[in-house]
Amino acid sequence: MSLLASAVLAAPAPTPDIPAPTIEYGLLSPMLLVFGIAVVGVLVEAFVPRAHRAAVQMPITLLGLAGAFILTIVVATQDITPASGQGWGKLAAMGSIGIDRPTLFIQGTILILALVSTFMIAERRTDEGSFTAQAAATPGSAAEREGLLAGATHTEVYPLVMFAVGGMLLFPASGDLITMFVALEVLSLPLYLLCGLARRRRLLSQEAAVKYFLLGAFSSGFFLFGAALLYGYAGSVQLGAIARAVRLGPGGQYATEVYGASGQFAQVTVGSNALLMLGVALLAVGLLFKLGAVPFQSWKPDVYQGAPTPITALMASCTLVAAFGALFRVFYVAFDGLTWEWRPMMWLIAILTMVVGAVVAVTQTDVKRLLAYSSIAHAGFILTGMIAADAAGLSSALFYLAAYGFTTIGAFAIVTLVRDAGGEAGHLSRWAGLGKRSPVIAGAFAFFLLAFAGIPLTSGFIGKFAVFQAAIAGGATPLVVVGVLSSAVAAFFYVRIIVLMFFSDPAPDGPAVVVPSVFTSAAVALGVAATLVLGVLPQSVLDLADQAASSLFVR
Amino acid sequence: MELYVPILVLAALSAGFAAVNLLIAAVAGPKRYNRAKLEAYECGIEPTPQPVGGGRFPIKYYLTAMLFIVFDIEIIFLYPWAASFDRLGIFGLVEMVLFIVTVLVAYVYIWRRGGLEWD
Amino acid sequence: MTVLAEGSYASPTGQEIVFVLLGVVTLAAAVLVVTTRRLVHAALWLVVAFGALAGCYLVMSAELVAWVQVLIYVGAVVVLLLFGIMLTRAPIGPSTDLDGANRPAAVVVAVALAGVLVTVIVDGFRTAYVPSARASSGAGSAETIGAALFRDWVLPFEALSVLLLAALIGAIVLSRREIGPAETDARRGGGEGEG
Repeated sequence: MSLLASAVLAAPAPTPDIPAPTIEYGLLSPMLLVFGIAVVGVLVEAFVPRAHRAAVQMPITLLGLAGAFILTIVVATQDITPASGQGWGKLAAMGSIGIDRPTLFIQGTILILALVSTFMIAERRTDEGSFTAQAAATPGSAAEREGLLAGATHTEVYPLVMFAVGGMLLFPASGDLITMFVALEVLSLPLYLLCGLARRRRLLSQEAAVKYFLLGAFSSGFFLFGAALLYGYAGSVQLGAIARAVRLGPGGQYATEVYGASGQFAQVTVGSNALLMLGVALLAVGLLFKLGAVPFQSWKPDVYQGAPTPITALMASCTLVAAFGALFRVFYVAFDGLTWEWRPMMWLIAILTMVVGAVVAVTQTDVKRLLAYSSIAHAGFILTGMIAADAAGLSSALFYLAAYGFTTIGAFAIVTLVRDAGGEAGHLSRWAGLGKRSPVIAGAFAFFLLAFAGIPLTSGFIGKFAVFQAAIAGGATPLVVVGVLSSAVAAFFYVRIIVLMFFSDPAPDGPAVVVPSVFTSAAVALGVAATLVLGVLPQSVLDLADQAASSLFVR
Repeated sequence: MELYVPILVLAALSAGFAAVNLLIAAVAGPKRYNRAKLEAYECGIEPTPQPVGGGRFPIKYYLTAMLFIVFDIEIIFLYPWAASFDRLGIFGLVEMVLFIVTVLVAYVYIWRRGGLEWD
Repeated sequence: MTVLAEGSYASPTGQEIVFVLLGVVTLAAAVLVVTTRRLVHAALWLVVAFGALAGCYLVMSAELVAWVQVLIYVGAVVVLLLFGIMLTRAPIGPSTDLDGANRPAAVVVAVALAGVLVTVIVDGFRTAYVPSARASSGAGSAETIGAALFRDWVLPFEALSVLLLAALIGAIVLSRREIGPAETDARRGGGEGEG
């Protein structure tokens, strides 16, 4: 006993306490609320009887998303000055999160679009909703039939969507590559799962989930490789520190705080340019995969087709916004000094994305695959804005993302309504003559297609105009020529569908248009309204995007 | 690194002990084969009859494996936390509790869904 | 990030020799993982590769990472992998259908990727030399990692708990039925594990 006591007494002086990290809860509140609601949703799944789950989950999910949107506005109205003293914004949570005006615009857009997508998820009148009764049941088995007869549906969808949305909010706000990677996984994992939960065509849905998961895991590997090489180059995974290393160039030295030993500084020597270039390339692969830029687009048509349509809408709107937000942050903050190096690569990818998206879409016969290729082409147009690498490019891309998100959700909402005995009538030939049977639905769909094509008086026109204007100002005129040409090709097949819907005779056994509940109607109505308002009176949103982009990302 | 030298020595000793025992059993032990000798020892899955192409395990095992891996990852984070616990103060405790509670929510969900029952 | 110091690769220390040997074991085991015709053997070779990699981490004095490698990858990921094999096919003996027509393309891509990465890393760290004295200063110990994790990396750490939560929900959704008969159709063959 005395031996022990003396050993304790003789112990060296304890090492100093680690100071508690500073967490700006106010700035993080939108994300915290979304994650909190997701956890509550899981508890609801655990304790509320099956019959009442949907009735509990749906309102808390909608309220959570709306609340997070309000919190985003509250944060945006505060006066926050970064450490540098210029602009607006702050690195929060020990540098893991950058809250600034572009990020808040992106987060607000994601939350609103997620809210509209949740309307579609909440729809129960079309075929008891879009989600399977029991994902664990073998397709076509007795257990699956029993689940369908019991009127069951997976209400886990709500918390999973909230997890994904939380990851999407975190992804473009990440201040370092580790947070960004965790956010990428948090947003991807629930989506992989949700893709496999379609109610009809279960095998196609499961195939989509597996494809998305395997390719997504592969692209995450690329992201990690890139992050590791960039750490080797810069000695830090902080985006701001990488930017500083790029400015210093190979051989340059700077002091950085040692993690885990607060107050100690270590001298870091910047590595070779080969590390940087390969790091940028691999990181870009990981990010471009998520937005489906060519040549990393191959998952998109299969996944968009197989996934439950509300989830496709969520991916086509919110995931695209989040992925572009992260891409912008990485390239505008960390690789700011490298614009001349990455621009040729982005030129090539933007051209490929626009051309492949537009040309391959022409050959599609399934409406969801067609919208997937359309989404690829639109990703190319937004990349065109990014190539300007200035505030105008960012502002135009932000506007484009918001406008496109509403339009695409509306289009997918209509896809859920045109049904026949086998579920959604996916094949385009089934849509023939829809304009004669249901002029309102066909009209709304035609309006969305015109917006995709970029016809004036729709938000698509204003978005394309802004993006191309920024690209020309940034010296990318040839790119704009390619963009306009591929828009023309795209317009061809959009108009072809409109002609099909309005000027051909409906098949006698053609699909019926289901009368939706207020939820899907709201999604369609909001889509039409946003597409029209942003096309006719876009100035206020353009100003908002300008204001958001003018202070750029905080570093 | 020097800390690991005794561990390596111990590992070599135990590996050697096992190898020597197997060797002695092979050389000195009597060899009487019978049917029972070929069966799985005490527990485990009967190797026969096996359908063509191999049988499949019930999906229940998947959940067990997932539970194992997730809580394994959770436990891993307890090591660095415990190692610097005295320096972390109350905030470190709160962080860890939050982490564990979040993962435990999944546990509660699995328990309520009957994921812990074998049949 | 390079630390220049005296010493070079010309006169390797014992630790460096061990590191190279472990690297060779890792590489050889990894090649066997993708070339063996027995799926279960592939998983077991993966254990060897992961284990040798853990040894590499240990030599580099990344202690915690090494034990994470052992506990998570050798312990859990390979177990999950084996379960995955048993859940889908449970093959005994060599599988004949493992090689697709893409095999040459896969070889080319793998070799090209490895070539690029090795070239870049060798080129990038040609002059870098980390003396083992600095390496054994406890930079990779659980205590140091803990101090960094719970202060500088709090946010990704907590986000990780959300990821684990989502993963478990997914596991339940994909594997448990709430309605209908118990999983009788999965019970053919093999029989139940007892004891």
